[in-house]
Amino acid sequence: MNAAYRRTLVLLLQLAACVAAPSCKSPANAPAPAAVASAPAAMRDDSHLAAGGGVPPGAVVHNPHSGNAAVAKSGGALFVAMNCNGCHGDDGAGWVGPSLADGRWRFGGSDAEVFTSIYYGRSKGMPAFGGALGVEGVWTLVTYLQSLPVPAALATESWETQ
Amino acid sequence: MPARDYASTRYSGLAEINTRTAPRLHPLWTFSTGVLGGHEGQPLVVNNTMYVVTPWPNVLYAFDLTKDGYPLRWKYRPDVSPNSIGVACCDSVNRGAFFADGKIVYNLLDGHTVAVDAASGREIWKTKIADVSVGETLTMAPTVVKDRVIVGASGGEFGIYGWVKGLDLQTGRIVWTAHNLGSDADMLARPGIFKPPYDSGAELGVSSWSNGSWKVGGAPVWGWISYDATLDLIYYGTGNASPYNPEERLGDNKWSASVLARRPEDGSLVWAYQFTPHDSWDYDATGAMIVVDLNVAGKLTKALVHFDKNGFAYTLDRATGRLLVAAPFAAVTWATSVDLASGRPVFNPTQQTGVSKGNVKHICPSLEGGASPSSPAAYSPRTLLFYTSTNNLCMDYEATRASYLKGTPFMGVKSPYAPGPGGNLGAFIAWDATTGKKVWEDKEAYPSWSGALVTAGDVVFYGTLDGWFKSVDAKSGQVLSRFKVGSGVVGNPITYRGPDGKQYVAVYAGIGGDWALLAGDFRSDDPADVRLPADFIKDIARRTSQGGMVWIFGL
Repeated sequence: MNAAYRRTLVLLLQLAACVAAPSCKSPANAPAPAAVASAPAAMRDDSHLAAGGGVPPGAVVHNPHSGNAAVAKSGGALFVAMNCNGCHGDDGAGWVGPSLADGRWRFGGSDAEVFTSIYYGRSKGMPAFGGALGVEGVWTLVTYLQSLPVPAALATESWETQ
Repeated sequence: MPARDYASTRYSGLAEINTRTAPRLHPLWTFSTGVLGGHEGQPLVVNNTMYVVTPWPNVLYAFDLTKDGYPLRWKYRPDVSPNSIGVACCDSVNRGAFFADGKIVYNLLDGHTVAVDAASGREIWKTKIADVSVGETLTMAPTVVKDRVIVGASGGEFGIYGWVKGLDLQTGRIVWTAHNLGSDADMLARPGIFKPPYDSGAELGVSSWSNGSWKVGGAPVWGWISYDATLDLIYYGTGNASPYNPEERLGDNKWSASVLARRPEDGSLVWAYQFTPHDSWDYDATGAMIVVDLNVAGKLTKALVHFDKNGFAYTLDRATGRLLVAAPFAAVTWATSVDLASGRPVFNPTQQTGVSKGNVKHICPSLEGGASPSSPAAYSPRTLLFYTSTNNLCMDYEATRASYLKGTPFMGVKSPYAPGPGGNLGAFIAWDATTGKKVWEDKEAYPSWSGALVTAGDVVFYGTLDGWFKSVDAKSGQVLSRFKVGSGVVGNPITYRGPDGKQYVAVYAGIGGDWALLAGDFRSDDPADVRLPADFIKDIARRTSQGGMVWIFGL
């Protein structure tokens, strides 16, 4: 990974390692993540229905770290440091928040949709983490989530011996 | 009111359903609430109307019990934010409403308390009392004493600064706010009034927390509130200390995991007793505090009885908070006993948790507790016994450093569960609180999570996590009737006399609460949320999925 990204990751992990001393209660007191890039405007998800068949203008955005195992590993540390596991369970298996390890996505599984879910938050309680993490931090988490293995026969749960 | 009376006995004098007739008990009516999610709490029956509050989105239904089929008189659908779901740790439950002065008063998950006209269903007032952005939500049923509405907030998993508030019943205005930790001023612990039985000195809510950790110390209030009109005291328990890594908050952490006695009018703290000093196991003390006069060691005593998550059943003097009896009602390993002279538990030093302790194995009870606070017990003045659901679960506990990020979980633990001794995951028990002894026990395959109801017919009612609604003999525990109600029961049965003079029993079906997290393979409604079964509670998904029904049973 490049030096600028490494610097951002260090800052992110410092932020996340901020312990619960009262002085650290507000993220404003913690080191702020350096924005490597602004969030892209007008992201489009082509899996959505297009009324009348006409697709609205907008960029289709891809994860710049797609498939990068080192970034995925950092994302795993960030997943714990940012308390994602507190709602989504260890390894994203599901807890009070939905499973992120089942290959299924309530709000869409494209790079842009998973990014949007984390960066801007979603209805029914997913907070917006973009302000705390910035664009690079969110793509790091997306890379981690996309690296989680999906159990093969997940769709069927059977209690009968075959 | 939710527990039938201010003493929280959940006892009814009705006897038409009794040990002879209960085998004929059968369902007469059912209504789907339209909501999927843990249906904790219980209906209210007032003036031939049954009032039901659902989990989020907290619809309030009013059923007309005088008409065939019990059609609705009205339904109230509050405007309640879905974002609050994201900071509700343990499913978007609601534990019920309170009827007072022609109003139905209850809480919305998103931090508002609302009063609705019981006759017309029109909203009278709605007050914001909790801040969702710091992780506060409302799940408990309010208690109304004279013209004071008393409510607390959930959020022990989000590092809230726990409190209880008193609102004006007519206007909803917040009259007083009392924190459960922090400075004496914030706790409304006034000199000359606050007299804890085993502690002395000022600023205990600060000095018992290292490094200002009280500011994110938890001590939420999400359970039940009882009231003694003669002593003019409300009693309630506080939840866990936060975070789950106790090494970030050295000291006793008062008054988390405690019972507090306050004056309802102005919130003054009168006494406090801590069940689990330096809570290192999520032992919320928010379970019911039952007000009963008991003969303890030959002396008639104004007592308070409480089944704590920590696995001990306590009998206290409710005037002073002094401990009279403390005995385990479930498997307990974190302490060997509770010393009556000092009121303190005798800790097992090998069961202390924290980052430096690594993975501490086989601690009983688990995070679910010996009994869940959302499964309130009942007391019969005929048998002189208490009746309660219990869990038989133990855990490993590996603490990790918790990072505080406002509005996100502030926890720091990995805690897988295993069955307790015997292998059954739960039991429903009868308990003698004067001696601290179990009198009978009905083992259950699954943790027992419903509340209890006992009647003058000597019948006890409860429901199981896999959806059986049972009536049993109050003296022996022998099963008299059972019916599969379509989804696990995590709510509390009630009984009432209908307009026709006959006795009815009502209960919710709809599994959830902590089980929505721990046994997520029972879920069915979201194709994007498919989970593997939990290894300690195999088969629950074979027997139940989500639901939301009101059931009425009769003879």
